[in-house]
Amino acid sequence: MASTPASTPASTPASTVEVRAVTVAFGGLRALRGVDLDIARGERLAIIGPNGAGKTTLFNVIAGDIAPTTGAVLIRGQDCTHLPSRHRPRLGLARTYQKARAFAGLTVRENIYLALAGHRGRHRALWRSSADRRMRDEAAEAAARVWLSGQLDAVAGELAHGQRRQLELAMAIATRPDVLLLDEPASGLSRGERERLVELLESLDEQLTLLLIEHDMDVAFRIAGRVVVLADGEQVMAGSPEQVRADPHVHRIYLGTEAPA
Amino acid sequence: MKLREHLTGETLALAGLVLVLALLPSLATAFFVNFVMTQTLILGLAAATIVFLAKYGGMTSLAQLLMFGIAGFMFGNAALDGGARGLNLGWHPWAAVGFAILVTTLVAFVLGAVASRTTGIYFLMLTLVYGVVGYFVFAQIVEISGPGGITSIQRPELLGPPVRLYYAGLLLSVLAYAGFRMLGRTAFGLALQGVRDDPVRMASLGFNVPLHRALAFTLAGFVAGLAGLLNVWWNGQIDPASISIGPTLILLIIAVIGGMSSLAGAWLGAFVYVLVLTYLRDLPLVDRIGITEARFNTVIGVIVLVIMVLSPEGLTGIVQRLRGTTRKELGGIRP
Ligand SMILES: Nc1ncnc2c1ncn2[C@@H]1O[C@H](COP(=O)(O)OP(=O)(O)O)[C@@H](O)[C@H]1O
Ligand SMILES: [Mg+2]
Repeated sequence: MASTPASTPASTPASTVEVRAVTVAFGGLRALRGVDLDIARGERLAIIGPNGAGKTTLFNVIAGDIAPTTGAVLIRGQDCTHLPSRHRPRLGLARTYQKARAFAGLTVRENIYLALAGHRGRHRALWRSSADRRMRDEAAEAAARVWLSGQLDAVAGELAHGQRRQLELAMAIATRPDVLLLDEPASGLSRGERERLVELLESLDEQLTLLLIEHDMDVAFRIAGRVVVLADGEQVMAGSPEQVRADPHVHRIYLGTEAPA
Repeated sequence: MKLREHLTGETLALAGLVLVLALLPSLATAFFVNFVMTQTLILGLAAATIVFLAKYGGMTSLAQLLMFGIAGFMFGNAALDGGARGLNLGWHPWAAVGFAILVTTLVAFVLGAVASRTTGIYFLMLTLVYGVVGYFVFAQIVEISGPGGITSIQRPELLGPPVRLYYAGLLLSVLAYAGFRMLGRTAFGLALQGVRDDPVRMASLGFNVPLHRALAFTLAGFVAGLAGLLNVWWNGQIDPASISIGPTLILLIIAVIGGMSSLAGAWLGAFVYVLVLTYLRDLPLVDRIGITEARFNTVIGVIVLVIMVLSPEGLTGIVQRLRGTTRKELGGIRP
């Protein structure tokens, strides 16, 4: 369990994350209908689309929270389609949830500490070792990166909404993932908080592969090198932020019918 | 952890309480110490395992009295060496202790592993089924429970005088309380609280959620087994009726009286229960208004009802409210 056989891929894959013809059906509802995606190492990809388009479902499939009905998911060349979510942090994957899901009864530091402990396989220690102290220090560093140093010992359930989103982010970046999935990190944030978020995302390691679901077009287009538009479980277009911004089809289904000024 | 984190008013109050309890045998009557308080410590220790699982793991277990009973039966089978009751293995008492605890812990691991994929009401129902099936196993296989129970069980020489059993109960209670509290701050304990708050999230952080639940259940079973040993030494006998559905619910009620999010409350609940059990019949007029021993459960039921109406967090919740502390205990159960 402690070894990391998966950290070195069998071959050097072209893509860090590959999504192949993934469909997901919830009973009669088809949330994804054959989605293909190739995401290169270090790429910044934004996924946009109206509510119910299947964006979160796509993240759930990549992160292993749900298995696709058909299709496959490869992470660094390794077939992970049916790999349980708990094995994915060791592949370098980290995610946030659309609804902040920090552990309400634990403090900010303990929440981040758990993210680190889960990643390092330190799950069942019954005493505090030097590794533990290091993780507590690292938790404090991660909190500082999201401006939560003052809230280290605050209980997560009592944080303001924006702070809870920041904590969510700290838990994801603390483990220094290779692949980071952020589900609407800017939702509910104030203008100032959004600005800081963009700053933080711009400061991430260049080698990191970032998948970003975002409703705030300003945030999405500033961060992303490529934008994929999903609607009704299908990819309707993909391209650079400029191409997507200019596309009339996108305007009709998503950004509203008006063309940009 | 820094020293000042330990030196809270609560900790000091508990330390004072333990000191008083340690001196109790020279302050109170032998009856109060050896009957009321020893029983309180035994039941409190068992109920604390319910609180531990609920508070840290979000699991309400109705199988803790079964673990308690298994340890008692196993000790009786292993330690006795004559008569017609039980297996009569005739082992050294401490070997019997090891055997009883080992069997209890293994059973707890297996039952915990099976239950580990259920939560909430399903977990409660499944552990209730454990309790009921366990009762029938002991009731029907008389080879391991003796017809009508295993009697004349002796405690190890070390614990011969009754007051030593009281001190054993006190020691194990203090260790269990401190142990559970400290465990809450370790990686294991924090992860258990994470599993309580959001198991899906814990899995995506890399944790094996079912295994974590099963291990917590195993630990609770181990501690309940220790309480079960004290109980069988205190009683000198054990029969299947003592782990039937009624007593199973009583143990849950003890935890509820104290407050399901307070470890210390388990012992408080046990104290209230034992007081009512012991002194109710001595109260003046009790016979006249029709409360006899047979209606004892009704009285307990009414007490629980009153406490629940006043505070869903049990007596601990009432005490905290009286002290005006609205601050929630860290890691407590949120409503
Ligand atoms: N667990 C689920 N069970 C049933 N339907 C679901 C589930 N998750 C999502 N859906 C449905 O799938 C569709 C896509 O949802 P989602 O991926 O959350 O969309 P988005 O994130 O793009 O807003 C929606 O119609 C939603 O109601
Ligand atoms: Mg969504």
